[in-house]
Amino acid sequence: MKKMLSLLLVSILLLSACSGSKSKDASTSSGKDTKEITVWAWDPNFNIKALNLAKDAYKSENPDLNVKVVENAQADIVQKLNTSLSSGTTKGLPNAVLIEDYRAQSFLQAYPDMFYEMTDKIKADDFAAYKIPPTSLDGKNYGVPFDTGVTGLYIRTDYLEKAGLKVSDVQDMDWNKYIEVGKKIKKATGKVMLTQDPKDLGLIRMMIQSSGSWYLKEDGKTPDLAGNEALKEAFKTYKAILDADLVKPASDWSQFVGGFNSGDVATVPTGNWITPSVKAEASQSGKWAVVSMPRQSDNPKSVNASNLGGSSWYVLNIPGKEKAADFLAKTFGSNVDFYQTLNKEIGAIGTYKPAAEGGAYKASDDFFGGQKVVSDFASWTEKIPQVNYGLHTYAIEDILAVEMQNYLKGKNLDKALEDAQAQAEAQIK
Amino acid sequence: MKDGMHMRMLPERLRQTRMFTKLFVFAVFMIVTVSITITWTTIKMSERFFIEKFSIVNSRVIAQMKEHFEGYSNEIAVASQNLLLSRTIREGLTEKQNNLQKMSSYFNMSQQLKRVRSNLDNYDMSIFVMGKNGIGHTTERIYWPISDEELITSPITQKTYAEPKKLMYQLDTRKDDDGKMNHYIVASLALMDRISGDIYGTMYFALNEKEFRKSYVPYTTKGSNVFIVDKKGEVLSSNMPSLIGKRDARVLNYVKKIENSKDGYIVENFMGKEQIILMQYLPSYDMYLFNILDKKAAVEDVIDKRAIVLICLGIFLAALIIVFLGTKEMTNSLTKLVRQISSAPKHGFHQPIEVNGTYETKQLGEAFNSMFDELHRYVDELVDAQKQRRTAELAALQQQINPHFLYNTLTSIKFMVRQGNVEESEITLNSFISLLQNTIGNVSETISVREEMENLKHYVLINQKRYGERIKVNYLISPDCQEYKIPKLILQPFIENSFFHAFNQKPGGYVHVMVWKENEDLICEVLDDGDGMEDSSAGRLPQTKRKHQLFSGIGVKNVHERIQLIYGEEYGVTVSSEAGEGTRIRISMPAA
Repeated sequence: MKKMLSLLLVSILLLSACSGSKSKDASTSSGKDTKEITVWAWDPNFNIKALNLAKDAYKSENPDLNVKVVENAQADIVQKLNTSLSSGTTKGLPNAVLIEDYRAQSFLQAYPDMFYEMTDKIKADDFAAYKIPPTSLDGKNYGVPFDTGVTGLYIRTDYLEKAGLKVSDVQDMDWNKYIEVGKKIKKATGKVMLTQDPKDLGLIRMMIQSSGSWYLKEDGKTPDLAGNEALKEAFKTYKAILDADLVKPASDWSQFVGGFNSGDVATVPTGNWITPSVKAEASQSGKWAVVSMPRQSDNPKSVNASNLGGSSWYVLNIPGKEKAADFLAKTFGSNVDFYQTLNKEIGAIGTYKPAAEGGAYKASDDFFGGQKVVSDFASWTEKIPQVNYGLHTYAIEDILAVEMQNYLKGKNLDKALEDAQAQAEAQIK
Repeated sequence: MKDGMHMRMLPERLRQTRMFTKLFVFAVFMIVTVSITITWTTIKMSERFFIEKFSIVNSRVIAQMKEHFEGYSNEIAVASQNLLLSRTIREGLTEKQNNLQKMSSYFNMSQQLKRVRSNLDNYDMSIFVMGKNGIGHTTERIYWPISDEELITSPITQKTYAEPKKLMYQLDTRKDDDGKMNHYIVASLALMDRISGDIYGTMYFALNEKEFRKSYVPYTTKGSNVFIVDKKGEVLSSNMPSLIGKRDARVLNYVKKIENSKDGYIVENFMGKEQIILMQYLPSYDMYLFNILDKKAAVEDVIDKRAIVLICLGIFLAALIIVFLGTKEMTNSLTKLVRQISSAPKHGFHQPIEVNGTYETKQLGEAFNSMFDELHRYVDELVDAQKQRRTAELAALQQQINPHFLYNTLTSIKFMVRQGNVEESEITLNSFISLLQNTIGNVSETISVREEMENLKHYVLINQKRYGERIKVNYLISPDCQEYKIPKLILQPFIENSFFHAFNQKPGGYVHVMVWKENEDLICEVLDDGDGMEDSSAGRLPQTKRKHQLFSGIGVKNVHERIQLIYGEEYGVTVSSEAGEGTRIRISMPAA
């Protein structure tokens, strides 16, 4: 009897439960993809800040769109994009993403359908010419070029003075001169020249690009390691700098930044995007200058200008792409005022040429002793030798990093590069 | 007057249906009690049912969550063993090196970390190793943005050194650049040479609590919440971010209660709501995983109390109607019976009671009816007996011709004869003979108006012969009334009255006898213009002083009684009189 009763009750309850729960979730499905776009980037001091400024600038264009900025490690962004795109699922992908120029081709060529074409949204001619090949495929523009990776040598003028040197003495020098200067500074101040993270061969890349060389041949596919004179010299220079004990090892970005913020190192040879990190230590204001990048000593083609990093924005071909494209086109793609703000707020130098006419680009910077840093970077930008980064920059770099260690431990350089070449050919085919 | 009636009728009706009202009220009371009890029991039972169902489902869910957590901690344990046994790491953190050697050891250490990290690819995680020598390595810091200096002095590091053999999970809370509080779940283990016992650093596996949460958030719903607390009651992770980092001693009480409960769950008031609380111990974390279900959201939203109450209310109303009709049907026959019985006197007990309804009321009605019949028969018999006695009495009276009348009349005739007035004597004698002939006989016998008039005329004639003709008598009989039957000798007493009393002062006058039909009634009037009566209260018959002149024993009063006896109460004799004007006697009876 009790069973019967409870059975009856339960069936009544189930009925009422079924009828009761329908009205609740009617208003959730529509509208989400159109109101919000997600953008992935790395580096909170630079890319993330730039995105947030873009978000503010875009408010006047479309106040309804919510731009969700998500910070991830670059390696994770790459991994997640690869995982999602290769599996063909678009779930969890952002609407727009920042991709380093070195890697851009590997994505565009592997997943051409997954990126939204921006040819009609931006004028490619308005951007620095060297940014177009990495962001394009088959003559179609996919990326909205963002920052220039133009490099300079950030140098402590106070240490220079202690070593009896002037800024003019270190302008347009080669790496041999750099080592000499390093020795002098170390002698005078006890400070080393630079921090280096042994996994990151950015220094090598800057050196070889200054000579118009790269890890890959111009086709962007064939490894160019063994017998690459520029690379060989770069390795030698790298070892020479280490042998001269001018390097403070750093295990990651924060130790790298800590190196110059704490005053432990005299120079930072890197891309202009480091400016905000340098300026973050306000107590060092007036103690820095930026000079042109050292060139390779034995290579006549080498110039005092190079590139490191630099990235561009891409829109993924998923729902919400029009909104994301519009967001990028109306900020990074065409807004001169926005670039001025970007430069003033975070020192970012874009590759959007009309922005160079703006006041901010011509301003002098007291932190760098009144130097017109942006305008100097702009002039070096024009000299950067064009190279094809191709598809496999980092895959090769991983191999090279190991061989570099072997080389530093005494392995024959030619052998090391040949081994690297062999590994690279085996791996990237 | 009518309203008053109505007012009196209402309580009357109620009074008559008292039994129904009582029965009905009682039944309603019972139904209400039963309905409320059933409703309440239903809700409680189904609540218990759902709580049990929920706790079973959620036990499985949190067992699954536990598996997730254990899986995660396994991966961390494997990774930590890798780092612990790594010579690269130990050398990098212990040996004194120049910058060149450092470059190499940094590279190797970072390669080692990268390999370990690649095994934990599923998580957005930062791995750190921090040597006692101040050399730190990390895969990246964005998932735990802590500087080397902060890491060295962190309480997490202190605790790890305090228990170097234990892989422990701790909560780190820090503000990001936007001032938002972020929580990080940090697994840490001291880097210790297990043989010598030397501690040379610490390793950390850190991820944002939001990332940690992902393993169980899909299982949570509105009203179903999860949190993880350590042995001190501090919340490390929860889908309710406001709880993270908070300490609540009650939670540790729950642990004991749940461990002691046989169902594996308890219901407690938590966060201001009644909650079903389930728990799992996470041995590798030495923490407790709690799942709290908002009882209201979980159970009461599923159980539509309104529907239950409405259904019960519906059943209640239906029962009410059935009971109303049933009680009404049952008591109706009884009420009707009672009403009929109570109104029986109004109908002179002549109307039999309708026999219907239930067996009992039928029996009752029948008994009542047969009692009635019995009563009627008895009363009828009584009335008959009464009538017969009366009739006998009257007959006796009637047949008793007053000897004085006979004596006087015969004396009058003797004088007439002596005077030689033979003719008159003969007329008077004839009348006297006719009068006696008609009078002697059955008193109940009726005669026609015409015959009665004949008798009356004989009587008047005799009296006129005796006393002279100063009183004259007129007969005004409506011709259609001649043949109607009337009791014998009903007018005679009034004529007699007029002759002997109405003209004591006046020298003479008239007596009019009138008979006519009025509606269905026959009206006879005896009207005189004699002395009348001073004090004549209307309708009262005069107390006749018995005189020897009376023709028979039937007096004026007897007439009235006789008519009522024969024809009923509504008939009879009325008298109106005025002093000096005369007297009017009016007799009514049915015309037949």
